[in-house]
Amino acid sequence: MKVIIAGAGSVGRYMAEQLQESGHHVTLIDNDAGVIASCRQQVSASGVTWFLGDACELTTLSAVGCSDADVVAAVTGDDEDNLVVSLLSKQEFAVPRVLARVNNPKNEWMFNDMWGVDVSVSTPHLLTGLVEEAVTVGSFVRLLSLEGGRARLAEVTLAGSSPAIAKELADVGLPREATVVAVLRDGHVVVPRDDTVLREGDEVLVLVTGGVEDEVRKALVG
Amino acid sequence: MATQRRRNRDSEAAAVGDEPMSVAISEVAARQRVCICGKVTRMTARPTSGQPALAVSITDDTGSVTAVWTGRRSIGGVTLGRRIAIEGVAGLHGAHLEFTNPNYTLLPRHV
Repeated sequence: MKVIIAGAGSVGRYMAEQLQESGHHVTLIDNDAGVIASCRQQVSASGVTWFLGDACELTTLSAVGCSDADVVAAVTGDDEDNLVVSLLSKQEFAVPRVLARVNNPKNEWMFNDMWGVDVSVSTPHLLTGLVEEAVTVGSFVRLLSLEGGRARLAEVTLAGSSPAIAKELADVGLPREATVVAVLRDGHVVVPRDDTVLREGDEVLVLVTGGVEDEVRKALVG
Repeated sequence: MATQRRRNRDSEAAAVGDEPMSVAISEVAARQRVCICGKVTRMTARPTSGQPALAVSITDDTGSVTAVWTGRRSIGGVTLGRRIAIEGVAGLHGAHLEFTNPNYTLLPRHV
């Protein structure tokens, strides 16, 4: 896949290296000549293409081949820039998948399809979710939004009082729009099947679409 | 800054797309900068993520295509039956081609 990353900070560089190692064609854009020069030296042989320019400019995006890119990731430390890169990628190049990083959680509401963003990742929000996930048993924790908020990955650690305990997954009564994608038990991943029996302490990961969160909560939390 | 960007966008659009080709609607391909003309045959308010958006179907003799303008419910002059020209890049949304915020020109009512 051809991936364009805007912003060669620690996030952008890490992504570039990881994606390049998995065999993707990666171009990294930054407007700081010093950053680009040091990146070139550090990872010169890695095969990542570095481009010096302002990713908020059409000419830059055009020069790095945005018109046949599969993915654009806007991960600069500046929310305005990430939104501009996302909008231009969608509007002017119809990039199929646009990811954007949310730096200030207060701006998260803007990172949606109106600005061309398909998937937004908010580090503070994700961290809050993970902290909640770590400290709470028996409540419903949202971990990640996908498809512009239409699908959500949520987690429930089953308390002893959960109505789902000792039931087979098929009998738990989850709505059709909710899919259990994994059950974490004693540090192992249990691939969920209809006859998987849930136990106290299981971490159940559920992919929820539409507005059925309340039903899921009722089935798993009580 | 904003005006500068807008100015750049106008002058760059040509450089980026190398003069968009004017094509029949049936020949619109994904991710190519093209210009099409047609009649507005359908207008729908299509809010996305709680924000307004206007979806307009444009039809010529060969087919029809959708253009979506985000952040607005209407565009002055764009009415049912009006002939307009749009210029932009269409992307695949499921099986449909859709333009996002294309440039548009209102064409004379009687030709």
